[in-house]
Amino acid sequence: MFIFLRRRVLPAALLAVLAGCASLSPDQGFGEVAALAKPSLGQTPPRARSDEERAASRQMVQQLLQKPLSVDAVVQIALLNNRGLQADYEALGIAEASWVQANRLPNPGFSFGRTSSGDDIKIDRSFSMAVMGLLTLPLTARIEARQFQVSKLNTANRILQVAADTRNAYYQSVAASQSVRYQEQVESAAAAGSELAEKMAKAGNFNQLELAREQAFHADAVTQLARSRQLAVAAREQLIRLLGLSGEQSGFTLPQQLPELPKQRPSLQDSEQLAMAQRLDIAAAKLEVDGLQQTLGLNRATRFINVLELAYLHNSEPGASRETGYRVSLEIPLFDWGGARVAKSEAIYMQAAQRLAETALNAQSQVRVSYADYQSAYDLARHYRDQVLPLRKRVSDEYLLRYNGMLSSVFELLADAREQANAVNAAIDASRDFWMADNAMQLALGGPVNQPPQSAASANPQGK
Amino acid sequence: MSHLSRRAFLQGSALAVSAGAVSRIAAASLPEAVIQTQAGTQPPLNPASGRPYQPVVTLNGWTLPWRMNNGIKEFHLVAEPVVREIAPGMKANLWGYNGQSPGPTIEVVEGDRVRIFVTNKLPEHTSVHWHGQRLPNGMDGVTGLTQPGIKPGKTFVYEFVARRAGTFMYHPHADEMVQMAMGMMGFWITHPKDPSFMRVDRDFVFLLNAYDIEPGAATPRVNQMTDFNLWTWNSRAFPGIDPLVVRQHDRVRIRVGNLTMTNHPIHLHGHEFVVSGTDGGWTPPASRWPEVSVDIAVGQMRAIEFDASEPGDWALHCHKSHHTMNAMGHEVPTMIGVDQKSVLKKINQLIPDYMVMGDKGGSMGEMEMPLPDNTLPMMGGQGPYGSLEMGGMFSVVKVRAGLARNDYRDPGWYRAPAGSVAYEWQGAAADLPAAGSPRPAASDAADKETVVNVVKPAAHRHQ
Ligand SMILES: [Cu+2]
Repeated sequence: MFIFLRRRVLPAALLAVLAGCASLSPDQGFGEVAALAKPSLGQTPPRARSDEERAASRQMVQQLLQKPLSVDAVVQIALLNNRGLQADYEALGIAEASWVQANRLPNPGFSFGRTSSGDDIKIDRSFSMAVMGLLTLPLTARIEARQFQVSKLNTANRILQVAADTRNAYYQSVAASQSVRYQEQVESAAAAGSELAEKMAKAGNFNQLELAREQAFHADAVTQLARSRQLAVAAREQLIRLLGLSGEQSGFTLPQQLPELPKQRPSLQDSEQLAMAQRLDIAAAKLEVDGLQQTLGLNRATRFINVLELAYLHNSEPGASRETGYRVSLEIPLFDWGGARVAKSEAIYMQAAQRLAETALNAQSQVRVSYADYQSAYDLARHYRDQVLPLRKRVSDEYLLRYNGMLSSVFELLADAREQANAVNAAIDASRDFWMADNAMQLALGGPVNQPPQSAASANPQGK
Repeated sequence: MSHLSRRAFLQGSALAVSAGAVSRIAAASLPEAVIQTQAGTQPPLNPASGRPYQPVVTLNGWTLPWRMNNGIKEFHLVAEPVVREIAPGMKANLWGYNGQSPGPTIEVVEGDRVRIFVTNKLPEHTSVHWHGQRLPNGMDGVTGLTQPGIKPGKTFVYEFVARRAGTFMYHPHADEMVQMAMGMMGFWITHPKDPSFMRVDRDFVFLLNAYDIEPGAATPRVNQMTDFNLWTWNSRAFPGIDPLVVRQHDRVRIRVGNLTMTNHPIHLHGHEFVVSGTDGGWTPPASRWPEVSVDIAVGQMRAIEFDASEPGDWALHCHKSHHTMNAMGHEVPTMIGVDQKSVLKKINQLIPDYMVMGDKGGSMGEMEMPLPDNTLPMMGGQGPYGSLEMGGMFSVVKVRAGLARNDYRDPGWYRAPAGSVAYEWQGAAADLPAAGSPRPAASDAADKETVVNVVKPAAHRHQ
């Protein structure tokens, strides 16, 4: 870094070039963010900045809301409409502005003093400029460039997070309303049992105990239904929040069922390496470390010349010849040798380096956990689909046969219908858990499971 | 007994010699172990050797052939797992003898020296107790008391003189609870030395037995004690029980042994009978009285006799109404008088194939609905006027004029002479005699009683 610093620090002619190359972009770097997020999202995140664009995206949202929403559609709506995300986009602008600012030469200072002592009038003019600002401009510009880059990665990561949250909320909501329908069946079976029990009691065939028992089943089922409806409302509202919808917009419809399970249980080799290459949070942490390394270098280089001022002097005194020249003032590092500053920088750097290591280790562990979760969730959902549900159906069929033979009663049939609906509910939960595990897996991997590895570095136009 | 011909009688219709029943070395000294493969009533086995006698007919069963060996009647019983058809549509995994449960009837004559080889092909030890016989104590077949158990694969020999003529049974006295619940039992007849003594024209025998087989399963639950669901005669349930075919004016004897865990009042329609024999022997004529039902207690045997004077198809059944039903749910609540119309739609949404049953009573009428595998309908059996709505311990004594002496073939349904069948009243309701039942006087007590509603059929008109 020192070499790098020395090499770059001196040629003053370069300053103008560098200072000129940084300017505010029309999209505040959003294009790069979009490019970073696209491989994981499977779609390019949009950003509306003008009134026209905003109108177009509103229209797009409106259009998407017309049909039952697919998981891709909800992600699309969230990207267009999630306010938190829009706020995050503004952070990009802030980072870019800082970066551009860092590239600007500091404005020179001009001072004019007039002093008189008796007849002597002394006019003191000086033109000064913080030379260190000039000298350090390439370095600070780099730091801000990295900050801007980190900001882009963070924004892209936020987009992925919001997309993942949206998908989760979507799966939750679809599953919850699917469960409500089955809970309604449970309630309906219990209601039929209760109603029949009342008729039985009225006809003198049931005593109060038997009647109360059937009625208690029904009362139970009613509470369960109320609870599952409540859950469905909460899940839908969570989705609505993520989609940034309001008013009539929240009347959208969701599909009746969760998507089908994938045919094959997906297996993945080198999932940890894939995550290392794909995850944007790791790329951001790497950049952070790089940036801090440069700061550290700068602090080491300037430990002795913290306050270096270069002044151009033009003094004129009446009756005296004009004095011209310049003055350099240098702080003598007698008391503060800058050691503390360097040590702090070092500590900050090491802190970031450790954080990077932690991020990477956690990411690897997350990948392993979410991969295992994902696979077992798949197995479980499949087990429900291929074993539990067909067997429950078998049980129901057999109950009906037993009813036909007067071997069991209609109350047992209804109890079994309740059981069957409960099993279907559990199967729905398992399916939902699978899709949420799939989502978590994607997030842990930094990309879809079935996508070829995508290097974040290569999509990183201004990386190291 | 359908499709039996005289020739078939002489040949002994479905007996197969099982060469594999005993080891080759033992085979030289053992009588053939004859195996029965059919569940239908086999023709009586006329004695080809030994003392003459009038053979019995084992309902849905058969008589074990024997060989004479130096004046000794030798039989070979093989205790083994069998598959018994309880009725068409249902088979049970039972334990029995020589291919069937119950085992074959053993018929001997008073005074015969009898030697019975018993080979055990069960997975556990067994023994045979000769229920009701007078015999040497060591031949009584009580495991642990009079003999060790017959280990699997072993053959034991029982030998004694059939001293007393009468009606007997045989069954294990080893792990009895399991082995009887699995169907190990058989009939034993000792005929009188004098064939003319109390001679009858037709002599039927069967055992009462009961199983608890879960609908759809095939093996009895051996730990059941009271809640049996299959009430059988010779391990057959109606409509799987053959009719008892007799010629009009035949003297008929029916011998019944009870190896269930409850009593059975066996009831005959159209005739009175006398109990002519019990476990202890023949009843003196002076002590016999006429009856139409005889209660046969647990472990007992009864021989009843009557003159089949009345032609027709006469029901013969246990009078415990649950015993004339096949498997049913004893926990099923009564649905009588419960209008399910409003609930039906709700139920059908959940269970599309659900049908209302039982709201007008238990009769399933002509309803034919799919049942669990290997399960008999609770009731059924078709008669000339429709469903008999019977199962379990039910059969028909078919009295017909002009049958041949040895003809046991099913003559079909009785054709009642014109004007001798109950008929529907075609006249006006007003012409009916008044019901004449006096209304009970209202009392103060009635006010405090629980109000119950009577639903009469008229209330169902709207359906
Ligand atoms: Cu009975």
